[in-house]
Amino acid sequence: MGQQIVSQSRIFSLMKLSLILLSFIFVGCGTVDLEIRHNNTNISMQPRSVAILPFTLEEPVHEDVSPHDLFRSCFYNYFSFLGYVDLPLETINEKLSQAGLTDNKKILELSPERLREILEVDAVIRGRVLSASNFTGGIHAETSIKAKIDMLDLRTGEVLWETEHKESTYSGILSPTIVEIIQDQMENVKVHQAYYKTAEIFMISMMKEIPDPADNWTEEIRLPKIISIETNLKPSLKLKPNDRIYINLKGDPGLTGYFGIGSWKSDIPLKEIVPGLYTGSYTIKSSDDVSSSLIVGTLKDKNGLTGKKFYKDGMVQFDASSTN
Amino acid sequence: MILTKNISSLARSVGILLLATLVSACASDLQTKVSGHLNGLSKHQTVAILPVEASDAGQKEMAKMFRQGLYANLKQSKFNLLEKYIVDGLLKQNHLNNPASYLNINPMQFGEILGADAIVFSRINKVERSYFIVHSSIELSVSVQMVDTRTGEILWRAEQTEHDFSGIGKIPTGITTALLAPIQFVTNKFNLSKMTSKMVDKLTALIKKPENAVKETQFKETVIAKNATTELKKIEELQQLKAEWNQALSLGDEMEVLTYQETQSETLAQENISFTSTEIIQNEVPAVVRKAKTVEAEMAQLPATAKRKKIVTPAPMNTYKTTLAIPTHKDSQLSHEKSKPAKSTNKSSTLYTVQVGAYKTKAYAQSLLKKLVGKGYNAFVIHNKIYKVQVDKFKNKQDALELAKHIQKKEKLKNFVTRTG
Repeated sequence: MGQQIVSQSRIFSLMKLSLILLSFIFVGCGTVDLEIRHNNTNISMQPRSVAILPFTLEEPVHEDVSPHDLFRSCFYNYFSFLGYVDLPLETINEKLSQAGLTDNKKILELSPERLREILEVDAVIRGRVLSASNFTGGIHAETSIKAKIDMLDLRTGEVLWETEHKESTYSGILSPTIVEIIQDQMENVKVHQAYYKTAEIFMISMMKEIPDPADNWTEEIRLPKIISIETNLKPSLKLKPNDRIYINLKGDPGLTGYFGIGSWKSDIPLKEIVPGLYTGSYTIKSSDDVSSSLIVGTLKDKNGLTGKKFYKDGMVQFDASSTN
Repeated sequence: MILTKNISSLARSVGILLLATLVSACASDLQTKVSGHLNGLSKHQTVAILPVEASDAGQKEMAKMFRQGLYANLKQSKFNLLEKYIVDGLLKQNHLNNPASYLNINPMQFGEILGADAIVFSRINKVERSYFIVHSSIELSVSVQMVDTRTGEILWRAEQTEHDFSGIGKIPTGITTALLAPIQFVTNKFNLSKMTSKMVDKLTALIKKPENAVKETQFKETVIAKNATTELKKIEELQQLKAEWNQALSLGDEMEVLTYQETQSETLAQENISFTSTEIIQNEVPAVVRKAKTVEAEMAQLPATAKRKKIVTPAPMNTYKTTLAIPTHKDSQLSHEKSKPAKSTNKSSTLYTVQVGAYKTKAYAQSLLKKLVGKGYNAFVIHNKIYKVQVDKFKNKQDALELAKHIQKKEKLKNFVTRTG
């Protein structure tokens, strides 16, 4: 009877240990609970351009790193996968700085109207890192980031979605294997990477929850159109120094035009002489050396989208005997 | 004493075993090479990451994670990354929905469809999860290739295999973990995601900083993608044929110049204008041009934009329409005797005609004749050592000069007025 009680208590303690272990094993793979506050069923009302505002850090950290900046950078890298036109972080910082805004906490307090006026976007992402920690000691290693993130529609002033989540990467006595404990300890010592890795895990989980409007824009995407490209190149013509290649490109009016010679020379400007007709030229120099390259014309719109067209009736070939 | 020895020997063995396990715990095989031209990409150049090729549902899940990882890792690289929704939208618009077919499409075509300077093709080769009581493992394998759309050059090529496991080899912390850890490792999606993320991190290290490439990780010479090579060869072949054709035409021109010099007194002052090469191709007859056409037809046509430019032919003349009839002679009846110009009624008096071409080769003369007749001119060919293409006959020289002016203006065709029998 006494033996039975002992073995039962052993079983219970073993089960308890297993449960604790399992709970630790699954730490870090928890899903992000993202609350959709306002679901835009009207496509025209869905935000298109988004700016990720500088993240704030509520509690300072001891290490010489900025977890909130790392987290923002990581957020930007992953968020670009979704169907929004996201303003580059440098551009956002520059615009805010030009408006005399350098205090991240004060930026978050700005009204939607003011933010829209400064950044000229439909929505912003606001991020507050509530706590961040990195600890490695003995057999325990842990890096965690707790943050509150939301998307604010600047046109309506409504919060579209928000989340508060804590992501942790933990390793310790309850890790399943000794090798993993040592590996995790070694990795956790690199504080910068450890924070970024934790932020990545946070983002991978969060990305599954953020509404992606990509499919709504499929039909609307349109690159600048190039109707034709003409040059004075002739088949098998070998070019000599001082020979000039002339380009005529017909396409959408009012855009920035340029052409390139293979990958050897790019961004040679074209001038729009009448709406939709762009011309330019390139004079061969004695130091030029390229063989069999196609001329490619490019038109770029204000959003940075480019349309390209190759001229296939002649290739740029230099006369090797006349060039250096 | 013996016990102490045994303990120290055991500790040493455990230490060695642990070290060996640490080294082999997470095996990774990465073979990557870049081109020197990768450094030439800047923020002015756009790179598009195409959807990842995957064969089954398990791979598709990883394909999505892998592409997401590529975007996240390359977002802040030296070049501009074309946003994923734009790439997918444009591919959808062009009905390019199957990633397995992308490697068969010429990179130039992608360049025009996506407006990109380079494209990244990738494929999931293997996603293998195995479990055997106290041991489980995951093996991932991918291939990636970045190709310059402007040249067809491979800028980056990589093959990577990542392998990780859980089990006795990693020295479990207890009996329970020895049994549970392998199950957790192989079933938890989070581990696959973590491995993929780690994999992409290693894979893109060189592409993010190509200046760090050492000799072993650089292509020794320029490597052109297979699908681009075929296309570039065809373009070169076509151009060679066009060059031959132009050469043949210039021979014809030489003959024409000779005739022109012989009859200098009767010619109009002309500018040095002739058919453009594109127009010439439209009137193909010789074998060389027929061959050129075949090559053009073989080339993959670019959607919406790739059709050859249609040559706009001038509207039929109205001024001479009433007096010009379609010549009664046919191409096959080409001879001096069989030519029956509309106005050759008075054999005794001098008649004037407009000569528009003179060729050694009959086919070239026929080609020009066909073109002019098609436009409503009363053209014909006479053979006197060479084949001369002439238009109409007039008693009055002034009428011939008027027609000559008109032909030059409308058809941009070098000509002169000459006497005819």
